[in-house]
Amino acid sequence: MSRERTIYVSGTNPSRAARTRPENAGFERFMWWFMRISGLLLVILALGHMLIMHVLTEINGQAVDFAFVTHRWGSPFWRIYDLLLLLLALVHGVNGARIVIGDYVHRGGWRTFLLLGLGAFTLVWLLLGIFVIIAFNPATAPAGAGPLGLLSGTVGAL
Amino acid sequence: MPPAPCAAEDESAKGDDLSGMFRYRVSWAQLAWFGHRASGVGVLVFLFLHIVETATVSFGPSVYDWTQTLYNNLPMRLVEVLLMAAVVYHSLNGLRVIAMDFWPRLTIHYRALTYAVVSSTVVAMIPLGLIMITPFMPWGHA
Repeated sequence: MSRERTIYVSGTNPSRAARTRPENAGFERFMWWFMRISGLLLVILALGHMLIMHVLTEINGQAVDFAFVTHRWGSPFWRIYDLLLLLLALVHGVNGARIVIGDYVHRGGWRTFLLLGLGAFTLVWLLLGIFVIIAFNPATAPAGAGPLGLLSGTVGAL
Repeated sequence: MPPAPCAAEDESAKGDDLSGMFRYRVSWAQLAWFGHRASGVGVLVFLFLHIVETATVSFGPSVYDWTQTLYNNLPMRLVEVLLMAAVVYHSLNGLRVIAMDFWPRLTIHYRALTYAVVSSTVVAMIPLGLIMITPFMPWGHA
């Protein structure tokens, strides 16, 4: 019972939990840097978001509802914070998923299908997220049930 | 690809490896690497759901406030605790990866650093988890 063992050389893959920095300039090396820089920013942005929305609201007894969002997005600071968080987290996460797909799916057809699907999905979700954060206006939001009212009314009645 | 075990690690891994669980020795570096992937994919799935759920805010208070009630139960709260643990672990382990990328000499201490990441995650999750589940517990006020 022996398996092939690769002797680890620290200069080649220092982190041991990630990829080595690609040798040649280009997209892959750009993403290598992007993952690390966005990762550092996300430690502050994402952890901050989680602590504010899931811990501080609990301690203060605040409900996360429409009034909460209206108050929060009344400040440009939080809109920019959330926009930055959306962009960095989505691109960071999707690039990670791209690498995971590349590692596990080797057959050309499936690989292309999954990567194109991931790309298309991401583009739609990114545009939706950006649109909602920028365009949200409590004054023009429907006060009543709105287009999803039927759904919420039906499920709520169950 | 997962990090390959190093020579020094193979020598020292005789006592505390996880060979009972796997056919081969699994190093802490490999487990940390797998945990980073699993937590990353989990957070990404939640992010996609979260974008859609937050988008309902555009439909006004009655729709959005109803959407938020979907989170207001113990099972969803436990999912959120898991999400918090994933974000905390991914952050701390990511910092470890970045530190080792830019200060390669730290790799000598990779095992201690990995222990520190895992134990910090567990310790941080004790107060965070308790605060998050309190409203649904007998001692909670809600």
